[in-house]
Amino acid sequence: MRAMKMKKTALKMSLLLAPMAAMLLAVTTHAATPGITAPIFFLTAQTAFLNQPDGTGVYAWGYGCSNGFVPATLPAHMKNANCPSMQVPGPTLIVTEGQIVTVTLTNNLPTSAGNTSILFPGFQVCVGNVSLAGVCTAITNNGVAGLLTQEAAPGAAVTYSFIASSAGTRAYYSGTQGDLQVEMGLYGAIIVLPANVPGICTSNVVTSFYEQPTAAPGGAVEHDFRLAKSAYDHAKTCYDREYLFQFSEMDVNIHRQALAQVTATNGCTSGMPGCSLEVPTEPYHPSYFLINGRSMPDDMDANYGAEYPHQPYNGNPHMHPGEQVLLRVIGQGRWQHPFHEHGNHVRILGRDGNLILSQSDPNSLAGSVLFTTTTTPGLAFDGIFYWTGRGLNWDAYGHHGPLPAPSASNPNGVTATVTVNDELPCVPDANGYYTKASGAPYTAINYYEWCQDHNKPLQAAPFGDVANGGPATLPDPNIFTNGAWYGGSPYLGPDANIRATGPNSGLQPSNVQANPPNERGFAFMWHSHNEREITTNNVFPGGMLMMMLVDSREFVIDESN
Amino acid sequence: MASRTAGTILVLVVLASLVAVPASAQSFRVQCPTSTITHPDPNNTGVNNAEPPYVGPTILAPNSSQYLVPTGNVNGAIRCQQISGGDGYATMADGTQTFMFSFGPLSGLADIAAGQPGSEFPNVFNVVASPAPVPGDPATTDGATDSGTYSAGTLVFTYNGAIGLAKDADLLADPTADPACISTTVPHPTYCTTGLDGHVDPRQIMDVGVMNGNIPAPLMAFDEDDEFFLTLSNVGMIMRPDLFEQHTVHFHGYPNASAFYDGVPDASVAINIGGSFTYYYLAPDAGTYFWHCHVTPPEHLQMGMVGQLFVRPRQNRVPSGNDLYAALQLQQTDLRTACSSNADILCSNPLPAKNTGATGGFTSGSATKKYAYNDGDGSTYYDVEYPLQIHGFDPNFHFVGMTFNPEAFADMKDKYFLLNGRSYPDTVSPGPMATQSSDGRMHFSQPLPSIINIPAGKKALLRISDLDVAEYQTLASLGIPMHVIGYNAKLLRDQAGNNMDYYTNSITLAGGESLEVILDASDTGKYPSGSVFYLYTPQLDHLSNDAENFGGLMTEVHIN
Repeated sequence: MRAMKMKKTALKMSLLLAPMAAMLLAVTTHAATPGITAPIFFLTAQTAFLNQPDGTGVYAWGYGCSNGFVPATLPAHMKNANCPSMQVPGPTLIVTEGQIVTVTLTNNLPTSAGNTSILFPGFQVCVGNVSLAGVCTAITNNGVAGLLTQEAAPGAAVTYSFIASSAGTRAYYSGTQGDLQVEMGLYGAIIVLPANVPGICTSNVVTSFYEQPTAAPGGAVEHDFRLAKSAYDHAKTCYDREYLFQFSEMDVNIHRQALAQVTATNGCTSGMPGCSLEVPTEPYHPSYFLINGRSMPDDMDANYGAEYPHQPYNGNPHMHPGEQVLLRVIGQGRWQHPFHEHGNHVRILGRDGNLILSQSDPNSLAGSVLFTTTTTPGLAFDGIFYWTGRGLNWDAYGHHGPLPAPSASNPNGVTATVTVNDELPCVPDANGYYTKASGAPYTAINYYEWCQDHNKPLQAAPFGDVANGGPATLPDPNIFTNGAWYGGSPYLGPDANIRATGPNSGLQPSNVQANPPNERGFAFMWHSHNEREITTNNVFPGGMLMMMLVDSREFVIDESN
Repeated sequence: MASRTAGTILVLVVLASLVAVPASAQSFRVQCPTSTITHPDPNNTGVNNAEPPYVGPTILAPNSSQYLVPTGNVNGAIRCQQISGGDGYATMADGTQTFMFSFGPLSGLADIAAGQPGSEFPNVFNVVASPAPVPGDPATTDGATDSGTYSAGTLVFTYNGAIGLAKDADLLADPTADPACISTTVPHPTYCTTGLDGHVDPRQIMDVGVMNGNIPAPLMAFDEDDEFFLTLSNVGMIMRPDLFEQHTVHFHGYPNASAFYDGVPDASVAINIGGSFTYYYLAPDAGTYFWHCHVTPPEHLQMGMVGQLFVRPRQNRVPSGNDLYAALQLQQTDLRTACSSNADILCSNPLPAKNTGATGGFTSGSATKKYAYNDGDGSTYYDVEYPLQIHGFDPNFHFVGMTFNPEAFADMKDKYFLLNGRSYPDTVSPGPMATQSSDGRMHFSQPLPSIINIPAGKKALLRISDLDVAEYQTLASLGIPMHVIGYNAKLLRDQAGNNMDYYTNSITLAGGESLEVILDASDTGKYPSGSVFYLYTPQLDHLSNDAENFGGLMTEVHIN
């Protein structure tokens, strides 16, 4: 909840800089897909308060790790990873295809909340112990019968097991009084990694290079935060980076009612008259719209940030040009949300762990290619996004060939102070990009540049120390308002921006640090296009909104913080 | 090397006056170059004022500045458009006048009043208005009266150029201030002598732009390979002087966008009142996109700053008789226009699995056969096209927005359900709808009807987009099945080239989505001339106009 809550006085925030100034305090953080891994999980359902950026603490129920259960966490380079006793969304369960997954859930909700349970849609669930052959063996006293599945009574436990039968991303959530329990926060994600990652995903990839010197200052290395190298057992599903986003909404009145009734029934005996909750879940008026349990701008803070003890997962994607980025997206809650990814389309690979392939060719994908990916309650999808700048029609890195100096007859010449980076080569590979396949070193800041536009100017008049002669003319920058994520120019990366915002461009980069001088990426808003959902309790901006940054190779994307 | 900047590229400059001189202090400007790197016309022959046929990919070769310039087969042309960002009023189907934050046309005014796009070639855009437009135009000149609609045939306002465009007296007095006008090696651009370098008379922009909002915002359409220069001039919101609202244009769905021209104020610049900003785009892949302001989106979109935009495919320009499959193969030979399933996971129009032998129809500069996509098999053929934008207005929000009160977002509830800014029965009124604004003048507030007229035996392409900010909306067809061929500006085709089109009787979209539907009336037995069908929402509470319980999201399909 950080600085955002100080801004609550202004209900009409038409001056963007006011709320965005909150980002001043943000340290650059990144996302990844953190979670816990073990085929045998011990989870608990408990209560806690969730932090919202307006300062509200919302009473909620969530899954967490049982007392004494300390699972391994992934990805390996994640810092501060843990598994609290309650979190929203619940712990992301990371398993491998073919494994037997066992989940023992202990019900530590208030007694009056009654039973609880977990559904694992998409898997053949055994209430007991399943064998690899698929034989389900019952366990004595394993929960009590519920409507949809076996449930854990207050203070008791229930064990489910299933074979992780196919790769992909799926939801898990409460199967008991879902209108209340899912609303209260009892949901999470399960990721099944493919058992057989195709060889091409490790041998022939030119978009990712981890654990070796890069174009960043000092040749800093970038760590690999992937859980696997492909989303499915299929050569068309290789990826270089991945993010998990779970969409949900909260009607805070339901949570207040629940807290009031739980408080009133404190100490009651399970099964006795009056020891239950009667919380109306209709009419439904949500005013908090969450990605991974957080509202913007909290979603851009670090994973496992100390200020969010029960909302460990963030939503803060970064990527380099050309990287194939796997989006794992789940609709939790009860509404659909049109998730609009600025910057490019998304190829849907599969839904709920079902890879969508061509009817005529099993080597070809057949999922939709969308710029708005609707999230539907209970439905997950895996998709691939990338950004390359192909077709922009100017050199996004501000490179130029030899430049004329200003002279009496050519006062608009360029006062170029040639740096190492402004005349870099761009040798197209078979697809037109500057990559390893065409001889690009891993230390090239323009790795994966679209070569057809190499050296091509955008700006008609001289523009800092990038080339002039292009089609477009920027007017007086004094008639602009700069955004917090504005890099300062039409160019990508610190080097190009420094040159572009030179003495005769008139441009100034944004003075806030959401896209700091060592980053200067292209920022794209990823958000619900039901735009009223990018608000937090009636205040814009907020809600289901995050900024995705495309960063040049000069910037190390460290997803660990 | 010094000669190369003085070579081809500087003559491309339209406004060279930015540098170090106070000419940039003028805030309103337009841009519409007649010659660029991508579309060179150094000798001012006017070659960029029309679409050339597509006979193969543009041939590129490096110039002395070491970037690629076209040396043959230059494809596409140049399009320019100017819009205002401000406010205005629209008339709801129950007669209510509703306040809007809105965009209005500042170029192509006559075309937009006639339901056409306002994206003009340079020789149309770069024309000074004579006589000068008057406040309220084109409605004023067209003699609009309250609550009337006007058939396109009776409109007398014919000017389509850039409102405000005027001779730059400074440039004419001293052309040497512009290096392009003193070059001794290349011909001078025409603006050196005409003075039309993008300088504008701001009075005309204010006269026409103020209180002239449209819903939907001005229609934009251009062709693949075009360069598009879109100038947004922020004229301020007269009804809300307390707000210093910036505006932007978000080209929704533009692939591989730059953050700079993406229109998100947080990630780029937003345009203050009194300023103009020219967005620059090379046309993306064909498809139905849309555009909107991205400043405080829950407010500015709900208040009406939403518009339509589509891109026509290269395939429309394949000469008559030429094979479409072969033309798509030609596109594979330029990596920019290529679409290979193996190289690009977002490629959606690889070569079709089957070569149907369909041929192009580009004759004498115009497309006699039209397609929604570069399908290579003719499967997206249509005869007539209709952009159709779904939106919703919450009258409470608009009232609060007009009366200086803070709006609440969580309880936003639309009560007017709009197709092209109108509810039934206004949807079937031909011609532009006029509304009297608080300046006492009539304005063409809702220029675009949504009646679907299909010549008997023909096919209509519906380019449907949705910018509702509160909920999903469904549109159903009562009669002719909906043949869905594209989704989110992508052809429905798998990586192996199999078409994934499908038939349905309803489509559901959220705000931020689009699709293409073909209504196929080629069976004149089933769909004879004179028959009427309906597009309507089965969300029955959306068939209302606020308190009126009949109307809403509905229009008619007429077989002519």
